Amino acid sequence: MDIDSQFLKGSIGLLLLNLLSRKEMYGYELLQEVSRRSANSFEFKEGTLYPALHQLERKGQIKSEWRRAENGRERKYYALTTNGRSAAAKYEKQWHHLTGAIAAILESK
Amino acid sequence: MRSTDELVDRIVSSSKIPARRRRQEIRRELCAHIEDFVAAARAAGHEQNEIEKRVLASFGDPEQIARGFAWVYRYQRRRLRAIAFTLSTVLLASCLLALALATQAGLAFSLGRPVMKVIASPHMAIEALDIVASVAAYLAVASLENIFASHRFLKAALTLAVILATLVAIDAAAGLHMALPLFGFATGIFFRAVKLFVTPTVARVAIVVVCFPLIGLGLALLRAPLSLPALTSMYASWLVLGMGYQLMTHLAARLDAALMSGLERIHAGY
Repeated sequence: MDIDSQFLKGSIGLLLLNLLSRKEMYGYELLQEVSRRSANSFEFKEGTLYPALHQLERKGQIKSEWRRAENGRERKYYALTTNGRSAAAKYEKQWHHLTGAIAAILESK
Repeated sequence: MRSTDELVDRIVSSSKIPARRRRQEIRRELCAHIEDFVAAARAAGHEQNEIEKRVLASFGDPEQIARGFAWVYRYQRRRLRAIAFTLSTVLLASCLLALALATQAGLAFSLGRPVMKVIASPHMAIEALDIVASVAAYLAVASLENIFASHRFLKAALTLAVILATLVAIDAAAGLHMALPLFGFATGIFFRAVKLFVTPTVARVAIVVVCFPLIGLGLALLRAPLSLPALTSMYASWLVLGMGYQLMTHLAARLDAALMSGLERIHAGY
């Protein structure tokens, strides 16, 4: 199902912070995780992912580090900061509140 | 792969990210991403040509990605532009001021007047303010042109005029009676117009030798009648200043580019 990009726009930060709260990941891995966990319902484009990651890093919610994988390839791993961890919890709470409210309106008679 | 290298080049070069090290880092990160993408596609049995097409399709429009990065780094870019603008204004205005002072000192000496009295006169302070305003207006119009897609000079000059009109209105409303160097601002806009629209060298020389000094003489004569030696010395000083402004129009863009390049290299906000 095609999802309006405007719906996704406001929730990218929440999704990335949530995924990174589970473990440190690099960009390509994050894209794969989004596809896998949403059962391919939606996919991030690289053009959405990387500016969003850099924005979160600028806000001090995530930090990055280059590491060399076993296959010799270099990857830039992102991890949550303390600030990012509390932001993730706050956004998640807001999301549940918002979706609950919207669902209540949509399902009301 | 050439096409994916071009894709990364286009994203990085259009991203307007101020820090050079950050641009290199993004290049490295996108290349690492493509390596992972290619390795996964190869493992899935896709052909090389098909893999390239898949990479390009997955990334989408490189200009749109670049706009995403440009938005993230907009404050750093604006900060660097403001620093480059200030440095350019100070450097160019200092050179022009030194030229004006040397001219006034030379004329005073040749006419047998006390040099220090001429240099330290209120007129010289007004001229200094006008020079700074001219350089600032020239550079401001040149910078503002970058944010418009069409009729760039006209829109930039109008924007600056609106800003100045607002300043004048605030000055009048608040009763501050500040000496706003409006002639200096007009001079800056005038020389920007000359730089953009007057291409023949003869016409530019005519502007510097005839038009610009005549405007100055006309304005001086409106205030008070002048003797022939005074008119001659005034013409000479306007001629030298006009040549200085003409030189500024040649140097401004180069100086700005050099300053931006240096600032990008040493930018601490990496």
